[in-house]
Amino acid sequence: MKMPFRSYIWQCFAILTWMLPPTLSAQEASEEQLAFFEKRIRPVLVEHCYQCHSRNAAAKEKLRGGLYLDSRQGILKGGESGAAAIAGKPAESLLISALKFESFEMPPAGKLTVDVIADFEKWIADGMVDPRDGQIAADRKIDINAGRGFWAYQPLSQPAIPTVAGVQPATPIDAFIIRKLQEQGMKQVGHADRRILARRLYYDIVGLPPSIEQIESFVKDTRSDAYEQLVDKLLSSPAFGERWGRHWLDVVRYAESITLRGLLYREAWRFRDAVISSFNADVPFNVMARQQVSGDLMEAASREQREMNLLLTGFLSMGNNNLEDQDKAKLRMDVVDEQLETIGRAFLAQTIGCARCHDHKFDPIPTKDYYALAGILRSTESIINSNVGRWVELDMPLPEAEQKQLDAMNAQIAALKQEITKLQGSGGDNAPIAVDALEGVVVDDLDAKLVGAWTKSTSSKNFVGANYQHDGAAGKGEKSAEFTPPEPLEGEYEVRFAVAHGGNRAPKVNVTVWSADGESTTEVNQQKKPPILGRFVSLGKHRFTANTDAKVTVSTANTTQHVIIDAVQFLPVDLKGSPTKVVTDEDAKERAAALKVAQATLKKLEAERPSAIRYMTVSEQKEIGDTQVHIRGNVHNLGESVSRGFLQVVSHEDSPVIDDTQSGRRQLGDWLVSSQNPLAPRVYANRIWHWLIGTGIVRTVDNFGTTGELPSHPELLDYLASRFVENGWSTKQLVREIVLSSTYQLSSNSNENYSAVDPENRLLSSMNRRRIDAESLLDTLLVTSGSIDNRLGGSLIPAGITTDYDFPHDSRRRAVYWPVFRNSLPDLFVVFDFANPSMVVGRRDVSSTAPQSLFLMNNDWVIQQSQQMADKWLAQHELDVQSRTEAVVYTILGRKPRSSEQQLIMQYVVAAGDDKMERQRRWTQVIQTLFSSVDFRYIY
Amino acid sequence: MDGIGFTRRQALSMSACGFGQLALAGLLNDTANAAPANPMLAKQSHFPQKAKRVIFLFMQGGPSQVDSFDYKPLLYKKNGEELAFDDARVIANTGKRGSAQKVMQPLWDFNQYGECGHWASDLFPETARHMDKLCMLHSMHTEGVAHGPATLFLHCGATNFVRPSMGSWISYGLGSENDNLPGFVSICPSPGNGGARNYGSAFLPPAFQGTTLGSAGRPSKNAKIRDLINGRFDKKQQSEQFDLLRQINSAQLSDRRGDAELESVVSSFELAWRLQNNAPGVLDLSDESEQTLKLYGIDEPKTTDFGQQCLMARRLAESGVRYIQCTYGDGSPNPAWDQHSNLPKHLDHARAVDRPVAGLLEDLDRRGLLEDTLVWWGAEFGRTPYAQNNGTGRDHNPNGFTTWLAGGGVKPGFAYGATDEFGHKAVENKTHMHDLHATILHLLGMDHTRLTYRYSGRDFRLTDVHGEVVSEIIA
Repeated sequence: MKMPFRSYIWQCFAILTWMLPPTLSAQEASEEQLAFFEKRIRPVLVEHCYQCHSRNAAAKEKLRGGLYLDSRQGILKGGESGAAAIAGKPAESLLISALKFESFEMPPAGKLTVDVIADFEKWIADGMVDPRDGQIAADRKIDINAGRGFWAYQPLSQPAIPTVAGVQPATPIDAFIIRKLQEQGMKQVGHADRRILARRLYYDIVGLPPSIEQIESFVKDTRSDAYEQLVDKLLSSPAFGERWGRHWLDVVRYAESITLRGLLYREAWRFRDAVISSFNADVPFNVMARQQVSGDLMEAASREQREMNLLLTGFLSMGNNNLEDQDKAKLRMDVVDEQLETIGRAFLAQTIGCARCHDHKFDPIPTKDYYALAGILRSTESIINSNVGRWVELDMPLPEAEQKQLDAMNAQIAALKQEITKLQGSGGDNAPIAVDALEGVVVDDLDAKLVGAWTKSTSSKNFVGANYQHDGAAGKGEKSAEFTPPEPLEGEYEVRFAVAHGGNRAPKVNVTVWSADGESTTEVNQQKKPPILGRFVSLGKHRFTANTDAKVTVSTANTTQHVIIDAVQFLPVDLKGSPTKVVTDEDAKERAAALKVAQATLKKLEAERPSAIRYMTVSEQKEIGDTQVHIRGNVHNLGESVSRGFLQVVSHEDSPVIDDTQSGRRQLGDWLVSSQNPLAPRVYANRIWHWLIGTGIVRTVDNFGTTGELPSHPELLDYLASRFVENGWSTKQLVREIVLSSTYQLSSNSNENYSAVDPENRLLSSMNRRRIDAESLLDTLLVTSGSIDNRLGGSLIPAGITTDYDFPHDSRRRAVYWPVFRNSLPDLFVVFDFANPSMVVGRRDVSSTAPQSLFLMNNDWVIQQSQQMADKWLAQHELDVQSRTEAVVYTILGRKPRSSEQQLIMQYVVAAGDDKMERQRRWTQVIQTLFSSVDFRYIY
Repeated sequence: MDGIGFTRRQALSMSACGFGQLALAGLLNDTANAAPANPMLAKQSHFPQKAKRVIFLFMQGGPSQVDSFDYKPLLYKKNGEELAFDDARVIANTGKRGSAQKVMQPLWDFNQYGECGHWASDLFPETARHMDKLCMLHSMHTEGVAHGPATLFLHCGATNFVRPSMGSWISYGLGSENDNLPGFVSICPSPGNGGARNYGSAFLPPAFQGTTLGSAGRPSKNAKIRDLINGRFDKKQQSEQFDLLRQINSAQLSDRRGDAELESVVSSFELAWRLQNNAPGVLDLSDESEQTLKLYGIDEPKTTDFGQQCLMARRLAESGVRYIQCTYGDGSPNPAWDQHSNLPKHLDHARAVDRPVAGLLEDLDRRGLLEDTLVWWGAEFGRTPYAQNNGTGRDHNPNGFTTWLAGGGVKPGFAYGATDEFGHKAVENKTHMHDLHATILHLLGMDHTRLTYRYSGRDFRLTDVHGEVVSEIIA
């Protein structure tokens, strides 16, 4: 067999390279090869690569990609993307493709010259002679078992209630708190005044201010269980869900738009309302958790439950994603990452996102775990790709009977539509329609008065009657047509002109309607497809009387291309009065009658058809499967495949198993709240503690990892978490237990002697005073001004808008219902530390800034609410200045005025004298000032 | 005693004392429960600053580098030829390299300017007269092929993840030079392409988010600080009311004396009061001379809007605002400079910004402000040297584009880096957006690897794990 010379050379070369031992070391290398390395390779490595790829760089924490190029071993072993070079195989060496800017682009500052790259190819081909024999450090590996030793991953304990000396703790919670205090030789302060307590309880449980009457009735209630009664009353109020649902909405980064292009999440409110009603119904949190992660895959005992399951999956699709990213593979993983980060922080207080690019640097979460979880969410469809992607919205399935009815209706509608088309003699926009299939008065071209030679044609199919006619693009200006109804018309008609359009037609044909109001000319473009039935252009609505010479004329003047005439339709605007139909034979009459019936039935059916409820959700991907590790988080640099699963550090033998038919979200939901997973109840119990007490037992409520803080009272936390699970994951029970503790009822006036020992009141010798949050601030202004609209639920996004830009927020509804627009939050939210709706926020920031003060001092809405409140109290003529002052202060601050306040305010308003306007102004300013005062801004 | 006896002066000195305590509380700590303090207090930089503040002139949509500052004679020679290019959009969508594209020559003539002799086209004749002040970065490259991701990357250093914007980082790192003004102001920001995220503080405390004045696409003369002016009550009435507030707060505080947090609330009202009495003047252009207004082009309809933005920027810079962004753009998904199909329209935009920008440079220079004010002109990306779909426009190009800096410690009359011979990809001394961010922080006296914030278990940076300071451009 003859071999071409070229190929022969290649074979020899291949053999030669193969024969070179790939492990060639310095000793065996020739002087020449060593010299080549020293002269041509090493200087380049030192100058261009060592800065980021050497032990020296590693020492300065500047090592990139885990790659060392300062030893032969380092190059052979490579970094996160695998071996940098294979001795003897330059074409397969990452180093070469990176230098050529084909894989990576190295060095980043600019491509090296062709000659230098050729040197590297030669060096690798020649076996990579390299005298540098440095050793590289072994990779740090995460020890999962050792990681389990960290407190947060330990199984829930059932701590014994501590006994304390000298006092009888009111509740187990108090026993844990008091024991710690006693260890420091500290005591708790006394209980808060009953008025303060009432205000605290109202804001904490329902987020609303108590009225004077509500406070007074509690103060005067002498029953021994008065406090408990009040707690239970508030827990059963629908406002509980509005308050506590909103807490949870912070955690799940709830929003009604995304920043990209201000696109609206129009259906997001259904998720919000589902959260609120779940809190009101006290749905066990382990159920709610599973619903949010996998509601669409869960079985439901009832339709209502099924609906809640589906609505709550909106959790997964609320992310503020950049749907415009052109790299759709990257976008897909970014969305997965967002979901993982949210699930991790919301339910487990774990920072899983840290493991996207490398093993978690602090917590026992290897990258493998990240991709085990990522595989589950990657098997879930969250984004439908296009230039700008789209989130998933579906129609809510109806109850079986209704669904059956709907299916039947849909079938009937489809059949009717078919029948109508048939009656109209049309197979669609592109087929002829019989004259008598049309409503109103129709004048065909065959009945028109023509001037000049017109040619009949049926080349285009979208005509009326038997044909249309054209002017042959000749005799321009000389030819014309006139369409006159057979009988005089009376009333208002829409006049339509039929055009069998086409590319060679005239773009500007003057068509004139002669009516009772004179003549009106429309320029018809006969090249464009007409909008009505694919053949009619509207010439507008016109009035005709019996004396009018009603007609439509077509001119060919000033045109060069073909002018078409086909038919003119006069359609009565008001169906009463004038004849609507001109029929010529019995057949057509029947057909027209049938058509009318069909059309009416269709209209009725379409109106009756229940409109579907759309909701935001996710669905399962068509292709389900495991995913590969993305090296350094790069979607285009894939490593080993990882079986779908969960965090190993909290996985156990009976962790749910994921099969190939499902994404694994269902199992993920089960695992999150499984009895083996101590994180979910601990994290949730801690959140509730934080929302009621002001600081968590673990203050970093979204981070229970090693970078978070340690619990101040680990046993109390486990007690609360265990109680929570025992009580069927009931939020209300846990809230109740905490607010019934003596600790919750303490005064927030701290014992000054403890400020050195416990400056941050971690041991809870007194209650924490807390800032009123954005929603309570807004709600209070609406309530006290009397303008609150207490309706529950529903969307506040108006129908007309398409983006969230510059949305003019204005509503009398509670703050929880104000649209959470990521590009335009209500000013009040922005200024008063509302949770960033793009991220998990278990603990809001509390800041004191000038914009807050400016808002309270100058914002028009604030002044308006203050004025309304002023008007309300001024209208109570029976009150004198003193009692009015008392009432106003009591309403806003939840207590009677101090004598100094009373004096100051009275001085201020009395200065108005008898001037009514001045009186209103001064009272408005007093009220506004009270809203700015610290005693209003704080819950003591 | 419940505080009724406090005089106004006593009340003031009390809040002043509160201020001192706040300063001690510090802000750079990221412990779980830092006492709410005034976060805007000026802070020490890592090392001496070359620039004290930044004015960023954002050319939203991406002006074409090959039609403005990156002169490529080869484009004239190859005009109309179909050649293979690595088009960023094609690669992102399909992974395919080397698609056929029709070369399109610059639509405007180029000339050399200044002693340095750097090139500029007839798009920017006024700016070009200041060529000896400018430091050209011809080798910029960035992430994101579409506006959304690239605009976020420009502002926040990430295409998708929710991260603090650069102005927020700078505010967080340095605080404000002026107690009466915010540290980060964005004039007429675009609601599109990331919108609020481009001036948002993400996980940094909300106090560091940008204060916005107006909105892109609306007249800049209406750009105001929110709630700065009381529309209901006159000065005397407000002043009386403020006295009442002081007295009531002081009465209420008497029970809780020494509570730093409550004091911080009270002192925030003092700050607001000063702001409301001083800040409106900062944005009031009526006391500027006719000559100055003319310098900024506020005498001509075309240049008035951006001229006002630039003049407000100078006044804010003068008053100590750290980071000021002006946006020439609009709210649409295809913003101002985005000429996919009609490149000649670049001229309208250039005319609208050229004189104002030149005026700003000149004015800053005259007032001695250019020395420690860094002016940054640029966009989220550049444009391709070939026509999009063989048409009359150019598509996005994140792989090579020009940005310029001036003042604030950069080399004047300097040009750094280069794109390939077509002006397509950065090839020489490549400067990634992360590098530019690192360099700007460096000029402000901050080490980008040390300006960190602990969130979600790790320390975040504007530059993530990337970024190298481009020391070659630093004077």
